[in-house]
Amino acid sequence: MGGRLQRLLWPILGLPSIVWIVLFFLVPLYVVFCVSFGDVDPIFRTPIPIWNPLEWRFDQVAVVWDRLVGPDNFYLPPVLRTLYYVIIAVVACLVISFPVAYFAARYAGRYRALVLALLVAPFWISYMMRMLAWINLLQPDGLVNAVITMGGIVPLDVNWLSGNPFTVVMGLIYGYVPYMMLPLFAALDRINPSLLEAARDMGAGGFDLFRRVVLPMSMPGVIAGTLLVALPMMGDYFTTDMLSKSPSTSMVGNLINLSIATPGQSGQAGALLILLLLVLLLPMVWYTRSTAKAEVRS
Amino acid sequence: MTVSPAPAEAILEESQPGGRRSRLRGSSDARAYGLATITTIYLLWSLVPVAIVVLFSFNAGRSRSTWQGFSTRWYTWDPDGSVLNDESIRITLMHTIVLGIVATVITVPLGVLLALALDRWRGRIPAGANFTVLITFVIPEIALAIGLLFMVTYLATPFGLGTTAQVVGLVTFQLAYPVVICRARLLTIGTHYEEAARDLGATALGAIRRVILPMLFPAILVSAIIVFAGVLDDFVIVRYLSSGAATETTSMRIYQTARAAPTPALNAMATIILLVSTLAIVAGWLFYRRLNRRSGSSTDLGSFAGQL
Amino acid sequence: MTNRPRRPVSRRQVLQASALALPGAWALSSCAREQPIGAPSSSASAGDASSSAGASASPSATGIPIASPQNPVKWPINPGNEPIASDLEPEPNATLRLYNYPDYVWNRVLKNFQKEYADYNVTIELSTFNDLPEALTKIRSGSVPYDVGFLTYNYLGKLVYGDLIRPLNHSYIPNIVDAWDSFQNPWYDQEWQYTVPYTVYTTGIGWRSDLIPEDIGARPDPYNVFWDTKYAGELAVLDDDREVIGMTILRNGGTDVNSADPATLGAARDAMLEMLSLSQPRVTITGYTDIPEGTLSLSQCWSGDMITGQYYMPEGVDPSVLRYWSPPEGNGLIGNDFLCILKGGENPVLAHHFLNYMLTNDVALENFGWVGYQPPMKSLSPDTMVADGWVPENLASAVVRQEWFDVGYPLLELPPAVEAEYQAIWQQFKAGA
Repeated sequence: MGGRLQRLLWPILGLPSIVWIVLFFLVPLYVVFCVSFGDVDPIFRTPIPIWNPLEWRFDQVAVVWDRLVGPDNFYLPPVLRTLYYVIIAVVACLVISFPVAYFAARYAGRYRALVLALLVAPFWISYMMRMLAWINLLQPDGLVNAVITMGGIVPLDVNWLSGNPFTVVMGLIYGYVPYMMLPLFAALDRINPSLLEAARDMGAGGFDLFRRVVLPMSMPGVIAGTLLVALPMMGDYFTTDMLSKSPSTSMVGNLINLSIATPGQSGQAGALLILLLLVLLLPMVWYTRSTAKAEVRS
Repeated sequence: MTVSPAPAEAILEESQPGGRRSRLRGSSDARAYGLATITTIYLLWSLVPVAIVVLFSFNAGRSRSTWQGFSTRWYTWDPDGSVLNDESIRITLMHTIVLGIVATVITVPLGVLLALALDRWRGRIPAGANFTVLITFVIPEIALAIGLLFMVTYLATPFGLGTTAQVVGLVTFQLAYPVVICRARLLTIGTHYEEAARDLGATALGAIRRVILPMLFPAILVSAIIVFAGVLDDFVIVRYLSSGAATETTSMRIYQTARAAPTPALNAMATIILLVSTLAIVAGWLFYRRLNRRSGSSTDLGSFAGQL
Repeated sequence: MTNRPRRPVSRRQVLQASALALPGAWALSSCAREQPIGAPSSSASAGDASSSAGASASPSATGIPIASPQNPVKWPINPGNEPIASDLEPEPNATLRLYNYPDYVWNRVLKNFQKEYADYNVTIELSTFNDLPEALTKIRSGSVPYDVGFLTYNYLGKLVYGDLIRPLNHSYIPNIVDAWDSFQNPWYDQEWQYTVPYTVYTTGIGWRSDLIPEDIGARPDPYNVFWDTKYAGELAVLDDDREVIGMTILRNGGTDVNSADPATLGAARDAMLEMLSLSQPRVTITGYTDIPEGTLSLSQCWSGDMITGQYYMPEGVDPSVLRYWSPPEGNGLIGNDFLCILKGGENPVLAHHFLNYMLTNDVALENFGWVGYQPPMKSLSPDTMVADGWVPENLASAVVRQEWFDVGYPLLELPPAVEAEYQAIWQQFKAGA
C-alpha cells in the first residue's frame, strides 16, 4: 500500500461526517443569518432570505435590538427572567447533586452499582413524560395538594399550574438535574481516597476538608455540569409551556418559539436566536476547551 | 433526552474495575447516614412521579389523578381511546421507534468514522470539525431545529419537512455522542496494538478492521444505546421538522395533549416508549457483559452505567 | 498512555469553520425556491402602517380586498385554479389529510366517513394546529399536502391570493341547503365559492360557579373580571391574538375590534399589560378542559368550549356549575369557522365528498354532541336546543342565534401592516413584559 493512500486514509474516513456537519449544521446556521438579515414578503409577511452577505439588511436585527434596549424594551423582562430562572435552577441542581453524587462516589459501598443505575435512570425516561408526571401530580385534585392539605383537612388553595414561577423553576431543576449529577459523580469519583485520609491525618476537619480538598478537586465536574445544565436551559420553552402557559413565566425560548410560528416574525426569531448564540458563544467555547483539556488529562 | 449534551466528563471517565470502596470510617458514619438519607429522598423524588405515570396508565377510569381500579382498558380494550384502537397513537408510537432506529443506524457509523479520523488526522480541518461537533453538543437544540427548518423551507433541498428532515436533524444533534465516546476509548487503546498489527504485515485499513474496531466495540454499543434513547426522547427537533400527524412522535403528543384533554391512554403510550428504551438498555447491557467477559473486563452494572 | 495535547481552538479556526458554510450556501442559493407570491404586484412595503391607519375596512395597500358584512367580497378565481369537473369518482386508496384545531372534530364521525367510503379505501389523517398564524405558515410552506382545512375567514384573502385554496364545485355539495341561509351566501365568500360553514360561536367568558360564586354576567362590565386582582392566577385568556385584543378594545369602550387606529391599539396594549400585572392570566385555548377540571376557575372562551366542557367534568362534580356569558343579543365578538379544500391536497374529489358529508344533518348533529360547537344547520333550532337536551339549562347563554350575526362584531382580515401591529402587541403581551 502506497504511503500516499496511507496519509489519505484518515481524511477519507472523516469525510462523510464532515460533509454531513457542513451541510446540516453550518449551512442551516448560515440560513438563519440569511433569513434574519433578509427581507419580508409584503403580503404574507413571510421571510425572503438574502443569500449574499454583502446585501444583508439589518432591519429585523434592529427591531429586536430596539425591543431589547430601546424605550419599549419588552424583550428585556423575559431575558432577565430566563437568567434568573437559570441561575436559581443551576444553583439548586448543584446543591442537590453534590451530596448525592458524593454519597454515590464515596459511601455507596456494595449498593454502588444500584445507586449509579438509579441515578442514570432519568436519562432513559423521556423529558416530556417526566413533565407529564408533574402535571398529573400538581392538578388541583392531584397528589401534591392532597398531601399538603392532608386530604382536605388543612385549607390551602395553591394553583400550581397557572403561571406559578415556583413550579416552572422546580420543573427545570427536575428536568435537568441528571446532567449535573453525572459529571459531578465522575469528578468526585476520581478523587483518590488516600488523599482525603492524608488531609484528615494532617488535621483537616469536616468543613475544612470539604472546602480545601473536595471542592477544588471536583471543580472540573462542577464546571462541566453547570454548562451542561445552563446552556440547554437557555433555549428551553417547553418546560414553562407544559407547567405554566402564562406570559408571566415566559422565557427567551418562548419568544423565539412564538415568533417562528407567526407570519412576519420568523426573521425576528432568527435575529433573537443569533443574539442568544452570541451570548452563549463564550461559555460554549469554554466548554469545548475544557473538554479538550480533559481529553489531554486522560 | 431532550437536553442532549452528554456528561462528557463521565464519558471520558474510565470505568473503574469493581469500583473503589470507601475507606473512610468511624466519625464519618453519621455523615454517611445523612448522605444516604439525602440520596434516598432524591431518588424517590426523581423516580416516584414517573412510577405514578406508569401506575395511572392502568387506571380503570378516565382520571389521571384519582385511582379508579386496575384495568388494561387504555392499552387494549377501550373502543375509541386505547393504544390498540386509536390508530393515531399507534402511528405515533411506530414513527417514534422508526426514527430511533433509522437515526441510530446513520449516526453511529458516521460518528465512529469521524472519531477514528480525528484520532490520527492532524491539521486545521479536523480541529475545526472537532470544535464544531463539540459545539453541537452544547448548543441549545432550538438553534439547530430552527436552522434546519429555515433551510428546508427556503432552500431547494431535495427533501421537505417530515421524516427525512427529522432524521437529518436528529443525526446532526446526536452525532457528538459516538464521536466523544469513541475518541475517549481510542485514547485509552493507544497506538501500540495497531503498530503491532502493522508490524505483522497488516495494512492500515486492515489494522482498523481487525484490531481497532473490535476493541472499540463496547464504546460503539454504548453510544448506539445513548443515541437511540436520545432520539426516542427528542422533542424540539422532531416538532419543528415534523409535517403533521403522520410524523408526530410521542414527545410531541405528550406536549400537545398533556394540557388539553388527555386520558390515561397518554400515560399508556409514554409507558410503552419507556419500556422500549428499557429493553434497549437491558439488551445492550447483556451484550456488553458478554463482550467484557470474553475480554476479561469488569462486568458489573456499575461499570456499564458509568459508561452511560 | 499516549499523551497527545490538543491545540486550543483559536479564533481564526472558528472563522475558518464558519467560512466553510459560505460556498455551499451560495451554490444552493442559485436554485433557491421561488416563493409563490401570487398577489398582483405589491407596491407597498410592509413598513407603512400609517397609510391604513384609521380606516379598518379599507382595501389594503397590497390589493387584497378586506371582506366585511358591509363590504361583501366575491373572490376571484385564479387562472389555472378552476373548480374540478362534476361527476368524478373519489380518488381510490386515498389518505385524506385534515388540518384542524385539536379536539375540534369527533373521531367517530371521521371513522364513519371511512366506513361510508370503504369502497374507495379511505384513510383519514388528522393534523392539528394551535392557532391560525401557525396554520397559515405551515400551509404556505407547502410541506404537507393537506386536503381539507378547518379555518376561519380572517385569513381567507391570503389563502385565495396566495393560491393556497381550491374553488368548490357545488354539484358535489347538495347538503348546503340544510345550512342557515345566510351561510349559503356569506359576506366573506359571496356565492360560497371556496368555503362551507362548519360551526358558529360567540366569544365570552366561561367559569365554574362553585369556584367563582359571583355572577360575572351581572357585573356592569363583565370583561373587567380579567383586570380583577381577586382572581389572580385562576384565570386565562384565549391563545389568540385577535380575540384578546378584540376583547380588550370592547372592554375599553370601543366597538371596532378590527381597528387600525394607533391610539385605540396603544390603549389596548397598555390595558393588556395592565391585565398581566393585575391578574397574571394564563394564555391557552384549553379552557374547555381546564375549567371543568378546576385548573382554571374562569377563562375567556368560545361558546362551544363550555358546552363541550360538560363532558370533561371530573367525577363527582355536577356539570350544572358551568357558566357562560357573552354580551347579550349578540353584541359582542361573534364568528364562524368554515371547511375549505386546500390546493396542495392530493384528493380534491374526495375532499368535496367530505365537505358534503360534514353538512349532512345527522353527521353535523352527531359531531356537535362531541365538540360542543354549534353547526349552523336549519335542523338545529336555537329556540329548542335547551328543551331538546343539546345544551344544559345553565349554558343556555352559549346558544348562538342567526340574527346575532347582523349585530355582532366579526374579526376581519387585516391589511398586512395592521396585522403586524396586532402581532407586535401580542408578542409583547406573551413576553410577559
